[in-house]
Amino acid sequence: MTEGGAPSLEARDFSWTYAGASRPALDGLSFSLEPGRLLLVLGPSGSGKSTLARAIAGLVPHLLPGEWRGSLRVGSLQVAETPARLLGERVGLVFQDPDSQIVMGRVDDEVAFGLENRGWARPEMAARVPAALAQAGLVGFESRATATLSGGEKQRLAVAGVLAPAPSLLVLDEPTANLDPPGMHSVFDVLAALAAERRRTIVLIEHRLEAALPLADDVLLLDDRGRQLAFGRADSVDRRAVARLRESGAWVPRAWRSGPVRRRAARSDSHTVGTAAPSLLEADSATVRYPADESGTHPALDRVSVTLRAGERVALVGPNGAGKSSLLLAMAGLLRPNDGQVRLRALPRDGERPEPMRDPSRLAARQLAERIGLAFQDPELGFVASTAGDEVAAGSVAAGVPASPGDTATVLSRFGLAEHAGDDPFRLSQGEQRRLSLAAMALRPPGILLLDEPTFGLDRRGTEAVLEMLNEMRAAGQSQVLATHDPRLLPACDRVVALDRGRVVFDARPDEFLASPPFTPPEPWRDGAAP
Amino acid sequence: MSLLPAPLTAVRPAFLTRVTPVSRLTAGTIWLAACLVTLDPIVPLRLAMAAIVALVLWSGLPLRRIPARLWPIGLAVLSITAFSILLAGANSDPAARELFRAGPLRVTAEAVSAGLAVGLRLIVIALTTLLVFGPSDPTRLADSLAQQWRVPDRFAYGSLASLRMAPLMAVDWATIGAARRLRGIAPRGPVAWLRDFAGRLLVILVSAIRRAERVALAMDARGFDCGLERSHFREVRVGWRDWLAIAAAAAVAAGALAVGR
Repeated sequence: MTEGGAPSLEARDFSWTYAGASRPALDGLSFSLEPGRLLLVLGPSGSGKSTLARAIAGLVPHLLPGEWRGSLRVGSLQVAETPARLLGERVGLVFQDPDSQIVMGRVDDEVAFGLENRGWARPEMAARVPAALAQAGLVGFESRATATLSGGEKQRLAVAGVLAPAPSLLVLDEPTANLDPPGMHSVFDVLAALAAERRRTIVLIEHRLEAALPLADDVLLLDDRGRQLAFGRADSVDRRAVARLRESGAWVPRAWRSGPVRRRAARSDSHTVGTAAPSLLEADSATVRYPADESGTHPALDRVSVTLRAGERVALVGPNGAGKSSLLLAMAGLLRPNDGQVRLRALPRDGERPEPMRDPSRLAARQLAERIGLAFQDPELGFVASTAGDEVAAGSVAAGVPASPGDTATVLSRFGLAEHAGDDPFRLSQGEQRRLSLAAMALRPPGILLLDEPTFGLDRRGTEAVLEMLNEMRAAGQSQVLATHDPRLLPACDRVVALDRGRVVFDARPDEFLASPPFTPPEPWRDGAAP
Repeated sequence: MSLLPAPLTAVRPAFLTRVTPVSRLTAGTIWLAACLVTLDPIVPLRLAMAAIVALVLWSGLPLRRIPARLWPIGLAVLSITAFSILLAGANSDPAARELFRAGPLRVTAEAVSAGLAVGLRLIVIALTTLLVFGPSDPTRLADSLAQQWRVPDRFAYGSLASLRMAPLMAVDWATIGAARRLRGIAPRGPVAWLRDFAGRLLVILVSAIRRAERVALAMDARGFDCGLERSHFREVRVGWRDWLAIAAAAAVAAGALAVGR
């Protein structure tokens, strides 16, 4: 707005290659964004979306080394030639992880942090802090401890923090990726209000497209090599560019899809589980209470009863704090219920009688690993080896029956990791790490597989790859539990179990869940999934 | 996942919550110094009693939650005291006054006195730490360090950001252990255990560095340490309470050292 008519953000043949990278992260972007508009950036993993956000805020090239080409301008400022300090006054950047962008212990201190850094006078800060909090829907939160906020509140606090210095350009890099549906909803409410003001330009990188697209004035489409597929108004996107976006592995909003929708992997491959299938896990009135330090409101799990049958895939949904993690830990024997019980058994081999049900918390590590596996949300925390090949073999080594190199190689190629056999697991991409964490359980697949946010951070291609692998393992009778915030996964499940405040509030088919989610408001819970 | 108890901080305003953290640090240092200049158990005993009075009357901390949080330290203090008494050199000194003897074990009054001095000092250290850091959240300490002692912002607020990561890392550590157990990895014998432990350390180190990089990037994006003079939203004001707290701490320390001598 300050430049009066001039574009707020303009790229001309802009490319960026990180130091040491073999190809550009962004390759030849040319677009021009007018002041007050909201730009939605779409692209698959590796399309350079986050890099674009960093470039606009000047972190690239001023803090991260690499090779810069062409021109990127914020208002009248050339990013490459402007000190990060000056750029920082114009641009506010919100990151994905709520826990990695909050510094202070109190909400008002957190909002003031960016103002203090720029030397604002105390009276001006005192006036600005409540105003910024109000813009983020956090009126009255001043004296709250930041550690006690929910994920959605933390992200809105991050928005308030970057809005405080009144930037003319607000950049948000997947601000809702870590949030539960209510948290996501609250962030989108704030974004909608900010966009409607038209007082600042907004660049939004987001994979919850059904919620994001209605807010967008313009869209920028990138392919998997950081090349621009299209730039233009959100309501008149070139069909061929959309097709290429989809081919590159990205999610595409429903409104842009034409004709009959193919949903190859995202449907439960006409799989039915009879009640005759043996049950592998039974939670019977399980109650878990954590040490009552936090003014014990409700138990983490409150008389939860759930049964898992062989070959069944169950989605576990609910707001943060509803008890999903506790239930996964209790199922895996890592948390013993205070009351009630969890019992499980191995998947019976053909023609054999099922073994008796056993308490997982009393099983030795080896026996437990044969029966149940848990893929944590962050695959890195589970890695035990220094190469991907050893990672796949580690489970069978621990079981005392080391796999042959041939078996390991077969698993790696099945999970699309053949060329990474000798690579350090920590150096793989997010999608590759996720596949490796599943491949690590493939040589001796446990009868029950628990997965915490198995598609977190994955694009459409990555999600479909994970689902394909899960289908393969389920075909052998494996029972799977997917704790997820992503409604797009629900149609691929046989059943949905919803938790709220530690209780099971829903246990039925996915279509019934999507038709009437047991939460208020219901909309965030079916966003993006075909009803 | 709330596997960790809430931090122990003041829940109501009290005298010490109105004293700046740096002044509390000064007062606490005086007490610790007084503890260290004598070898008898009387001085730390007096200071421990004074610390308990201060904790109850002026700290604003939730008293009922303190025992639950301090028992591991209490246990450590007890065992350290017991070992100090049993292994003291005074026990083999024939001139020392014998309290009792059981086979080769001889316990003397001098050893008990020295052991109690060690244990009581540890108790004073624990209680003083609580009095110094408990009454306000770490943000206030960073503010106070930066404004009163002119500690560089990069250190004061950088430490603050890393302190906030501690509970997240504790959750990561628990997750790493759980993941290994579920992979069937149960090290047998000390060598295997050490290797497994080293592996866990490596994973948490990688995770901590990644997180630190993200935090640093977020702080830089908000203009932290960008070359401008930093201002302060919350002014740290030194008032009569600060001088009173320091003077009272010094008086108590002097009294504990001098009385009865």
